[in-house]
Amino acid sequence: MYGWIWRHLPGPTAAKIAEATVLVLGIVALLMFVVFPWVEPLLPFNQVTTG
Amino acid sequence: MSYDPPPAAGRPAGWRPRPAPEQPTAFLPKIDVLHPGPLGTQFIPEAEEDDTGRIGPEIGDDPVESPPPPKDTARTVVRSFGELFITAGMVILLFVVYEVYWTDLISAGKQNQATSSLDTQWKDQDTVGGPQRGTHYDLAEGKGFAKIYVPALGADYHFTIVEGTTDADLDIGPGHYVGSALPGQPGDFAVAGHRVGKGAPFNDLDLVSSCDAVVVETETDWFVYRMLPTTDEVAGWAAGKGAQPQCKGVAPLGGPYAGLVGQETVLPSQGDVIAPVPHKQDLQLPAGQQASLMTLTTCTPKFSASHRLILHTVLTNQYAKDPKQPDKVPPELKETD
Repeated sequence: MYGWIWRHLPGPTAAKIAEATVLVLGIVALLMFVVFPWVEPLLPFNQVTTG
Repeated sequence: MSYDPPPAAGRPAGWRPRPAPEQPTAFLPKIDVLHPGPLGTQFIPEAEEDDTGRIGPEIGDDPVESPPPPKDTARTVVRSFGELFITAGMVILLFVVYEVYWTDLISAGKQNQATSSLDTQWKDQDTVGGPQRGTHYDLAEGKGFAKIYVPALGADYHFTIVEGTTDADLDIGPGHYVGSALPGQPGDFAVAGHRVGKGAPFNDLDLVSSCDAVVVETETDWFVYRMLPTTDEVAGWAAGKGAQPQCKGVAPLGGPYAGLVGQETVLPSQGDVIAPVPHKQDLQLPAGQQASLMTLTTCTPKFSASHRLILHTVLTNQYAKDPKQPDKVPPELKETD
């Protein structure tokens, strides 16, 4: 999977490193801002009200 | 660097093709698969990652040392599964970071915003409203209307309480159960707050002990609530801890409130802990006979939704704010032992 992505990133190694960093940051941002806030209320970690 | 071709069916493991001995009579050019010669005499498979982690055929390398491997589906599948599991682990770790640290940052921003808008509102109404002061609340879902101070948890412990207990409300700060009493009123002023993440206002709720002050500031007043005796302390209260000066006004409550203790752990379904008379949902007591309580709820144990930690406090003191001395605070705020 990662090998496949690496091979499909265009440009020389330096460019590939930059592109990979951008990809990783983008996925982290997607998780932090969209996926986790959506999934969090569905998980039994932090419910504080009664009734 | 060695290369082991996959054992073909019917051949022992470790078997590898050996070049046939050179025939002196051979006249056709031979293709040596193990020791390929220069370009043109060998088959170069398409670029493919091999099991050594390198990518594609490496023309520059010594061809004898590392011939390009053929496609190996099983290896690819196993490796892909491994990568997926590692990725899943990383995502779960990232979720922990999100839950414990990231939400704190987000909520701190929201809490600051709620606090500053409440401060502005109080200030505006001070000047606009002039002498027409009185108990007045601007209750709107997700909007701050009071501040909570727990000196026992630190001199800097303060949060703005917002109206409502939905997830969005509690992201901002402790939330007031809609419909429960308001600060100072008879009945039960009930507030929920997060234990972990989201600013974790009630993280240390279990460290509050009986008689510790929970101070609520509204636009016009300061209300001092104190935690009721715990189960262990009820029996010898008058002679024991109840004799301490800060416990003035705190005693096990009688009548319909008998049995109510300062701290309890209940199941999430027990909504009656925030009833006007806690644990007696159906009891209709006239407001004149109701005690002024404040109840705090959060989850327990930490990182779990299995139970709720409940703190019951009783109103012991009240100070009207003096518009001429806006910076004056009640002495209870200094009880930071």
